[in-house]
Order: sequence, then C-alpha cells, then structure tokens
Amino acid sequence: MDVAEGPSSSSVVSEQTIEAGHTLLLKMPTGDVRPHKIEKDTTVNLGKFGSFHANHLIGQPYGLTYDIVDKSLKVVPPRPIQEVEDTEATNELINDGEFVQPLTSEEIEELKKQGLPADEIVKRQIEQHANYQLKTEYSKEKYKKRKVAKYSKGFSTVIPALYNVCEYWFNKDATRLRDIRPDALSQILNLASIRPGGRYLCVDDASGIVVTGILQRLAGEGRLITICDIESPPAYPCMVQMNFPKEHTAVISSLNWATADEDYTPIVASSEPPTGKFKSEGQKSRLNKRKVASDMLMRHREELFAGEFDGLVIASQYDPWSILERLYPYLGGSASIVVHSPQVQILSDLHAKLRDLPGYLGPSLTEGFLRRYQVLPGRTHPTMNTSGTGGFILHAIKVYDDPNASSVMAHRQKAKKAKLEAEANANAAPATSSAEPERPVSDETLAETTQPIESSDAAMES
Amino acid sequence: MWSTAREIADGDLVIIWFTRDALQPLHITAGKELNTRFGVYRHSDLVGVPYGSKVGSRNGKGFIHVLRPTPELWTLALPHRTQILYLADIAFVTSWLDIKPGSRVIEAGTGSGSFSHSTARTIGPTGHLWSYEFHEARASKAREEFTRHGMDGIVTLNHRNVCKDGFTVEDTVDAVFLDLPAPWEAVQHAKKALRKDRTTRICCFSPCMEQVMRTVSALNDAGFTDITMFETLLRPQQVDVLPAPPSVAGAAAQLKRAEARREEKRLRQIAQAQRAKRKRDDGDGDGGAEDGGAKGGKRARTEDAEDSGAADTPLAGTPAPAADAAPSAPAEERKISVSKAFPEVRGHTSYLTFAVLLPPAVYAAAQGAAEAQSSAASGAATPQADAAA
Repeated sequence: MDVAEGPSSSSVVSEQTIEAGHTLLLKMPTGDVRPHKIEKDTTVNLGKFGSFHANHLIGQPYGLTYDIVDKSLKVVPPRPIQEVEDTEATNELINDGEFVQPLTSEEIEELKKQGLPADEIVKRQIEQHANYQLKTEYSKEKYKKRKVAKYSKGFSTVIPALYNVCEYWFNKDATRLRDIRPDALSQILNLASIRPGGRYLCVDDASGIVVTGILQRLAGEGRLITICDIESPPAYPCMVQMNFPKEHTAVISSLNWATADEDYTPIVASSEPPTGKFKSEGQKSRLNKRKVASDMLMRHREELFAGEFDGLVIASQYDPWSILERLYPYLGGSASIVVHSPQVQILSDLHAKLRDLPGYLGPSLTEGFLRRYQVLPGRTHPTMNTSGTGGFILHAIKVYDDPNASSVMAHRQKAKKAKLEAEANANAAPATSSAEPERPVSDETLAETTQPIESSDAAMES
Repeated sequence: MWSTAREIADGDLVIIWFTRDALQPLHITAGKELNTRFGVYRHSDLVGVPYGSKVGSRNGKGFIHVLRPTPELWTLALPHRTQILYLADIAFVTSWLDIKPGSRVIEAGTGSGSFSHSTARTIGPTGHLWSYEFHEARASKAREEFTRHGMDGIVTLNHRNVCKDGFTVEDTVDAVFLDLPAPWEAVQHAKKALRKDRTTRICCFSPCMEQVMRTVSALNDAGFTDITMFETLLRPQQVDVLPAPPSVAGAAAQLKRAEARREEKRLRQIAQAQRAKRKRDDGDGDGGAEDGGAKGGKRARTEDAEDSGAADTPLAGTPAPAADAAPSAPAEERKISVSKAFPEVRGHTSYLTFAVLLPPAVYAAAQGAAEAQSSAASGAATPQADAAA
C-alpha cells in the first residue's frame, strides 16, 4: 500500500482529465446540465451558449468554467461570494407591469452579435432601467445574476463524481431513478457496506444508479452480480457519465430471472458442429464464440448458486419479497439486505413480513430528509423549492436461526407461570379472586420490556 | 479491516446483537466468558460458528446473534466518547466529498471514531485517512481501537490541535472533514493540506447556524467556492399491522338502524296515545282527561326506555339487522400494514457546510493548455455558423 505523502500517481489524476470518447456533463450558465459525448475534431454546439472546437476540451481537468470566445475556450477563475451592503431600499415604489426597460430584445440581440460580453450587456440594461436604483441591493444582485446567466456564452464541466451523476439523473427524471436521490444512494451504499473486495448481488431497475454506485465503491476489486429481467445484459445508462476505466466494469456480470433459477436449465444451442467436424473457419469461430458465451453463463450461475455473498441491494419494480425468496439463499451470514422503494407501502408490507421471520434480523424502515440552504451573507435560508422525496429504505441482516435457542423473556414468563400455577393450586383460591394474581405478572412483564431484552424488538415494532 | 472469513476465529471482533437497542462489540478471546442478563456464553463456543448465527445461552436461557462488524453496526455498538455521527450524515458527507477507494482524506476530530471506521471501509487499503484528535485520552483510545481493528495501514492517528498547529500533511489530500467546535480556525490549514493538482473538497460539520456563518466567511476568504450547506436526517418509520379501517357504510347502517328504531318508537307512542285516548273516550266523565294523558305519556316513555336495550320487533319494511352488519364484517377480517414516522425523532444533528477548492495552478495550467490548443487548432478549425448568434 502506498501511503507516501504528496500528490498521487498520474493514473489517479487521469481519472479527472477529459478524454476523447468521454461522456461529459456540461453545465450551462442557467444551471441546466446537458450530456455530451466528446469526440476529437468535432464541434460542440451549445445553442445560444455558443459553440467551440472539441479538441480545446480534450486533456482539460474536469470541473472548470469556460467562456466561449471565437470558438475557443477561456478558463474563468472561480468567483468568491460578493458581500452585499444592506440599504434602506424596499419595493414600496416598485409596481408590476410598469415599463422600465427601454432596451429592446432586438437591440440586445444586436449587442450579442457584436460580441459584447454578458456583463457589459447587463451594464447597459441597468443604465437604462428606470427603477433599478429603487431596488434593494439584494434584488439588484439577483437581477444582475439572472441577466448575466441569460446572455453568457460559456459552460462548466461537471466532475464525474457519483454525487454529480446521481444528481443529474435525479433532476432530469427522478422516476427513471426510482426516486433515488444522492442522499438515498449514499445511505444504500453505506448500509450495504460496499467495500473494495466485497461480493454483492444487486437488482437495479433504477437505470443502473445503484450498480454505478457499487462499481465505484468496488473500484475494480471484488464482485457484483446483477439479476435483470431481459435476455441480454442490461445497459445501465447511469454508468455512462462516470466514464469508468475498464477495470472498474470488469467485476460486473449479469444473469436474468430465468438463468438465475437453480431449477431451470438454460437452453443453450450446441457449440459442437453437427457433422462432428467444422465446415469452415467461420463456423468454427462462430461456434467457439457460442461456447465461450455458454461457458460463461454456466460459470456465473455456479458462482451465484455457490452463494456466500456479502450483501444484496434491491431497487426494483418487482415485488421485493419475490426477489428475496430467490436470492436470500445465496447470501452469507450477517450479510446486509437493503431494499429501496419510492413507495412506503411496498416496504411496510415487506417489513411486516420480515419481522416474523427468524432469518431476518432487525428490519428497519427509514425515509431520508434532505434540505439545501442558500448561504450568502445576510441571505441564508433553506431553498424555496426542494425535492420532496428520495424514497424509502428497508435494511435487515441475514442470520442463521437456531430454533432451539429461546429468549430470556420466554423463560421468565414460563417460570412465572409455573410459579403462579403452583400458588393457585396451593391456595385453591375461589373463582372470583383467580384473576387477581395475574395482574402483577403483566405489570412486571411490562416493566421488563422497557429494558432492552429480546422481546423489546417486537414491542418497538408493534 | 475486519475478518472476511465465513466463520468466527479467535481474536476476531464481533458485534453481539442482544436487541435492536442493545449491541456490544466483543473481541473473541478463548478462555473468556460473556456474562449478561441475556445469558452466559463462552468465547470459545463462538469460535468456528458462522458469522450471523443465533447462539443459545449455555444455561438455555436467552440467546444472542453474533454479527460481522460493519462501520454501521460499530456506530450503533461503539463506546461513546463524544457525540457521534450517524448514518445519514456520514453517508451524505462521503458522497459529497467524493470519498471512494483510493481517496486520501483528513478528519478532525476523531471523536468516537464513527466517521473514521466508515471512511476506512470506503477508501480501502489503497486510500488513506489522517485523523486528528486534540483530546489526549480520546486520541490514545482511538489509536488503540484502530490497531485492534486492523486499520493501521489505512488510518494515521495524530494527537494534535489542528486549529493551533495545522495538519501533518501538505498538498496531499482529496478531501477534508472538520468536526470541530471552531472549524473556521482550521480552514487555512485545511487549504494547505489539500492537493493542488486538482479540484478538492471540504466539509465542516457544525450544529449551530452562527458557526456556519463564520465558517462560510472563512471558506470564502480562503478562496473556496461553490459554498453550499445541507441538512440531512433519517426519519425512522414505525410499521403496524392493523385491521383495515372500516367503511362508513357500517356507520351509515348503524345510524339507519337507530333511526328506524326511533321511528318505530314514535309510531308505538302514537299508537299507545291513541289506545289511551280510546280508553278515556270509552270511560265515563272527562274530568281527569289531562291527567290521564300525562300519565299515559309517562308510561309510554318508561316502556320505551325498557324496550330500547332489547331487540326491537322490526316494523314492516325495516331491513333485518343481520343484513346491515354484513358489509362491515369482512373489512374487520382484513389486516393491512401501515407505517408512520415515529412520534419522537431526531430533529437536528448538524449543518453540513461544503465547499470546493479549485487551485489556481489547475486553471492556470488549463488556460495554458487551452491556448496552446487554440493556436494549434486555429488553422485547422473550419468556420461554422453559430446557431444562436
């Protein structure tokens, strides 16, 4: 292990450098994010934000902001937060619908054509704005920021970090991600305890965001088997923007619900030539390929059926219980089981089922809450619009039951019952008072459940 | 860092799960005994048992589950030396700071080591964590713990006040996590420790808004950008299996029955009054007419009161009670699972202030590269119409 202090080797750095063939996420001045696959000797056209020659971007580190000037790129240094002086201005004298801006959109278009930078256009707008001076300083800031974003020609490259990729997809179409928000994804990965070298099972019908997360956390060490509902291995579109090196994706293999069924024998066409001899080189290579594919399928099946996986993550449109029934046997003892669903009902049904089964320890159901704040001097507050849900997560641990082991509670209750019966028999109490001695028992039992003893699990749940 | 073998071996760290609220870390030491109110267990009896097994007590009373440690279980079981970080915050910070296998990370302070264990797991043997703790006793306890958990290759623990003395590395780490009372005092030091050849990230963890404001201004002054702040929590859900809520049809039927009974009573009263009147009319003299009427009325009411408890003889046209009860009966049979947030939950842990450091060297070099590209490409580039221009 290399713990040498100082910047790391170049191979790690290259992870953050833009290469031809990478799929980039480009952030527009307005905040929109667009994907773009960059190829050498092409032109990248960002519509009203300009266009530039792709080669300018190849070899650049990720995460920078550029102005587009004459089809080439100018790096824009990051801007610090501007202090805004508080003034007495209010919106007392500002009315909606008043004519305040004599600069027409045609004139602005003309200025843009002349190649005037965005802040210069905004400056002219402000000069002609009838009410600008009436605005509060905060409001002026907002106005400037909005207008500059509107007229800017430029963009930023988004670093292909898991958080960014998840956020991009979530904002684009949360439904395709089955509502897996970046915070939910991070919880899933931690709850499943994904670590380099671990072996995991995953059912991902969430565009591959969970698979992407697991692959990043494995970083080429360990194993991931996914089970899908289609014949050929799924595409997992979220993986694309991560631009994973080959080693990262080499650890994943996919089976489907038919080939993952132990009782089913996949129908594999023979890879032997029907005549016993290869007719041609073409036939030989075709049949060899077929043999490689079927051998691989059999190896993956054997690997799955051999079991002892460290964890199972489910983010699927299918009934989670039907998935657990099939994949539970392949988990090792103490393996983490994590199930995500956009709907709490799906998981409360599952929770109600699992807590009665001795093979599932401590099922818990949680919902994530995430709130972002705007932090500006004198203007700090939670953002006005926010995501309402990141879905729900159920977590449980696989355990091996021992039906002979009985709880302390059961023993205490048994002992008390025996004692009471003995007393009752000795006293031969009349029927009316027979209910009396039972009361202290239940009181005591109640007092005991406040202590962390075995049955408090059930007490907490019910 | 922890055993990955299927079975427990002597010397392993295991997590003993008594109940959801009672977990305990245990170093398996043959010859020792675990004696709790959940039973008595010999360590040697746990050796060779698969992780995740339920084990019954020697005296037959009580059982435990013996689990493989994970940072998440450790967080639930660890001996608290300080207020600790929990899953939602740890997971979110890991994600925003882009902590992954191979990452080099700084954390200050170490505290109870909750974040340290999670980070060590995530960065793996190719990454490194420098952890700083200014409290001497806590530092040595944590150091001891990291060694016992086989994390020496991944974590370097320093007893040090980073606000005063800075960090022990420069131009090295990808991410810094500050869980300090005054993180703003460590921001400049953090900047020095962050590597200068790429974009790096910082997170400051503070419970109070005033701390956030000072941190933000220190980050801004130090040249950090993209400053943003989050709050994240877990809302645990309580699941209950209940009878499905009954339909209002049942309530309506009951009301209708009551109404029918009232109507029946009213008609009976009228009938009784008429009977009484007929009696009176049949009898001689009309002197006590008012008295008799009043008496009749009273008698009728008393009879009603007696009647109301008993089953009424239904009048013609009134549906039988059995038919009314029918629709509500199956609803009571059906059970459903429902969930709601626990009545009392954690409402706040801390604010997570994040920022990015884009070292000037990175964009200066990028600018140089872009310009070199420009001059090389200017001849080759074909003029193309800008769609928006």
